[in-house]
Amino acid sequence: MATLQLKKLTSVWIITILVLFVLAIVFGILMRFNQGNAIHLSPVGFYSMMTIHGLTMIGIWFVAGMAAVNFLLQRYIKVSAGINVFALVLTVIGVVMLWLVTFVGEFHTGWTFLYPLPFRGAWKEWATPLFLLALGVLGIGWFVWSAGMLFQIFRKYRPAQAFAWQHLRKGSPEIETPPFILISTVTLIGIITCLVAAVLLLVLYFAEYFSSGSFVNDALLMKNLTFFFGHTLANEMLYLGLASLYELFPEVSGRPKFKMTWYVALAWNCTMVFILTAFFHHMYMDFVQPFAFQVIGQMASYFASVPAAAVTAFSVLAVVIKNPIRWSLTNTLFFVGVTGWLIGGVGAVIDATISNNFVLHNTLWVPAHFHTYNAIGNVLFSLAFFNWAANEFGGKGHTDKFTRLKMTLLIIGGSGFVIMFYIGGAYSVPRRFNVYPQEFSSLSILASAGALFACLYLAVIVWFLVNTVNKCLKVFSAA
Amino acid sequence: MFKSIFCGLSIFCLGAVARAQGPGYVFSEEDKIYQKVADVNIAYDGEVRSLSGLYSQGPVVIALIYTRCSGVCNPFLLQVKENMLVADSDERSRVLVVSFDPRDGSGEMRRLAIRYGLDNDGGWIFATTPQISELINSVGFNPVWDSVRAQFDHEALLVGINDEGFITRKLTGLRDFNAFTSLLRSIRNEFILSYPLPNENMVFSCFSYNPETGKNQPGTGLLLLLLPALLSLVVVFVLSRRHDRKPRF
Repeated sequence: MATLQLKKLTSVWIITILVLFVLAIVFGILMRFNQGNAIHLSPVGFYSMMTIHGLTMIGIWFVAGMAAVNFLLQRYIKVSAGINVFALVLTVIGVVMLWLVTFVGEFHTGWTFLYPLPFRGAWKEWATPLFLLALGVLGIGWFVWSAGMLFQIFRKYRPAQAFAWQHLRKGSPEIETPPFILISTVTLIGIITCLVAAVLLLVLYFAEYFSSGSFVNDALLMKNLTFFFGHTLANEMLYLGLASLYELFPEVSGRPKFKMTWYVALAWNCTMVFILTAFFHHMYMDFVQPFAFQVIGQMASYFASVPAAAVTAFSVLAVVIKNPIRWSLTNTLFFVGVTGWLIGGVGAVIDATISNNFVLHNTLWVPAHFHTYNAIGNVLFSLAFFNWAANEFGGKGHTDKFTRLKMTLLIIGGSGFVIMFYIGGAYSVPRRFNVYPQEFSSLSILASAGALFACLYLAVIVWFLVNTVNKCLKVFSAA
Repeated sequence: MFKSIFCGLSIFCLGAVARAQGPGYVFSEEDKIYQKVADVNIAYDGEVRSLSGLYSQGPVVIALIYTRCSGVCNPFLLQVKENMLVADSDERSRVLVVSFDPRDGSGEMRRLAIRYGLDNDGGWIFATTPQISELINSVGFNPVWDSVRAQFDHEALLVGINDEGFITRKLTGLRDFNAFTSLLRSIRNEFILSYPLPNENMVFSCFSYNPETGKNQPGTGLLLLLLPALLSLVVVFVLSRRHDRKPRF
């Protein structure tokens, strides 16, 4: 049973995330309209917006997954409210610093801040150190939060039990590991690993920044570390969303909870190991990267994603096929989210294949696939949790008479938005251009069309925000 | 807690002090890359024209020299001349030789052109500019006057400018023909692969170069990629040591 304190904290997370989400969508829409020549942003304005859009989206959906897992872990173990508050405070400070850096300091490297771009100051001098410091603040908060939850899991479950290794042997295990605990454990370990990579990266950046040229970094090492951190974090946040799905989807559908099986255990253990080397697929264009790493990148991309996707799809289908389901906004969001995740995941695996990557790299195919598994995948997992939690906090049932309308608009808006990216990718339109090159100017209409679809998506999110915030605020008036 | 804050602040302050003491100038070929060159007025052939007017007609290679130089300027210009002669005709670009010494006038530059046999070569322009500070600042060139030797202390710098005025490549020192042609290709907006060679300031290089075999071997940088996973294992080990002896199922 969640404490009132945890409900309040989770409510603050939900409200903060949804407000930032709306703002970040607005930035995205403005960028697409600019690419469509409907409005005219300055190049610095566009790239500052692109930077903060990426950083905000990655950040909020990571903490959304963390807040959901933190809340649901309470069902199995005791979680620390103090660490939750610590993470919240540091996240808010970090986000404020990042917004300051981009909008006042005009820092515009993109969220991947690839070396040596942060040192090529086409922005205020203070922006680069403050940007790195902001990442450090966020990293500390999230590391402590992750380690705190993992610590509590290991207080109750031995590592082998948390990894569900007993399910890999023959016979019925004496102790069953809930799927939610397994997924949370492997994800938190992955998060800790990528945050350690981030610490290394920041140390190397600061060392060069303060060394006056006596210490320089290797661009290849910095790019590897950047994607070790960035790619892994972006994937782990997806797994946090899936942990919520495993815990809540059968429950809100009126079905028995998911049981741990050997294949679920195997799939998620594979994910834990292979996701840590899948980031090599970002380096296919780096001709100095050892070829073996490129091969590892491709193989790891398959092994990290396919088993987990297969068992999740199978588990979700096993719940809904030939079973009476109580459909609500929560489980509909989960179900559509799985579909979006799988479609986007296929797009990602196609791009992670070396021969394909030589064609698709840096085209709009890339934002197409990651917007698919985020905007109509992972985001929906977290919205499902938000909706479920808000209904729990608001004291009302889980019925919503507008579920069908909301989902229809969300699917049309989300799908239309990403399809415009896919068509652009098919025509090799380059990504990260504030205005399309002359050769592709006739395709700028796609960008405006994408922005219009995104407006539809935004309208549903604002509607969702108003409903959810109203319910969440009731926690604060509770005795 | 206090100790950690104190140590952190100390490192930050010491680092800031170290940074403040630095020369603030690096001999880096990456410095100012993809930034626009200053649109200064340049004087040659008895006329004053804008640099933008020159590069808008086609990419330009800028060589920064001064006529009274007793050091690198002469061998530098000779090598540029030789490289230009060997380069394919379709790759050649105009070379703008600009003096960064305010004492040099059009007469000195004209005599320099004659000395190199380039006075009637349309591919070469020997010029001066009244805005030399703006020009050298924009390309990241910082000659320092040495009053004892009555000479400028400076490096040999070749700057490639494309037809939009962006610096696409810089070459420091006397460089071989391959490096020179890569500069000529880059100012024609051709993408040039490059990877900085490991040097003594690059502690964590992914490769170490063996001059005897001429091959690269995996270096400490690649090993560093294992560190996050190893440290995470340590974290997991430490966290799992607190496992309650009594099962709480």
